[in-house]
Amino acid sequence: MLTITRKPGEKIMIGDDVVIEIVEVAGNTVRVGITAPRERLIYREELWERVRRENEEAALSAPDQLDGLAKPS
Amino acid sequence: MEQTVHSTRFGELDVPEEALIEFPDGLIGVGGRRFALLTREENSAFQWLQETAREELALPVTDPFPFFPDYEVRISDAEAERIGISDPAEAEVLVIVRAAEKLEDFSVNLLAPLLICRGVGHQVINEAPAQVRVPLLSGLAESAS
Repeated sequence: MLTITRKPGEKIMIGDDVVIEIVEVAGNTVRVGITAPRERLIYREELWERVRRENEEAALSAPDQLDGLAKPS
Repeated sequence: MEQTVHSTRFGELDVPEEALIEFPDGLIGVGGRRFALLTREENSAFQWLQETAREELALPVTDPFPFFPDYEVRISDAEAERIGISDPAEAEVLVIVRAAEKLEDFSVNLLAPLLICRGVGHQVINEAPAQVRVPLLSGLAESAS
């Protein structure tokens, strides 16, 4: 992993079109600003990981008899 | 026009064109690009999203509103514009189901619903308070009490 030391207000370029800015550092919290083209999807990693795992488990877990279950009335 | 889709779970299927949904960004962390929305049985509460080029990838989905009458999906204007939805009413909402042996143990992902509009789908992060693993029947129990 590439590690770069930055101060508040300084930025990092990823390619030509993604800009990561260190907005603020306070205690153990860092506020990061991201400017990226709209088609670049941005997630908090733990959220992305929860959804990824749930998607995978849904694909693995489904028993075949589920189709017989009717809608709630 | 029908497309033949191979499915590990269901074998060979002939899928009508209107059941095909493009997911330009795939499902979060799982990918996929083009899915067939399969209805295996009339009146079933569940359908399947079968990836058309990855036969092993099929996920059960359901319409969340019969189970969660108060369910709400909120996305930012920027996100709505990105996925090409101008009117929330024109998007179909589905949620992914994590099935189990018993119906009481089923859960649904209300945090990351699927929005489908004119044959194009996106899995979005719901900005309304919602959880990733909600017991399927919990919404019914609430509204009954």
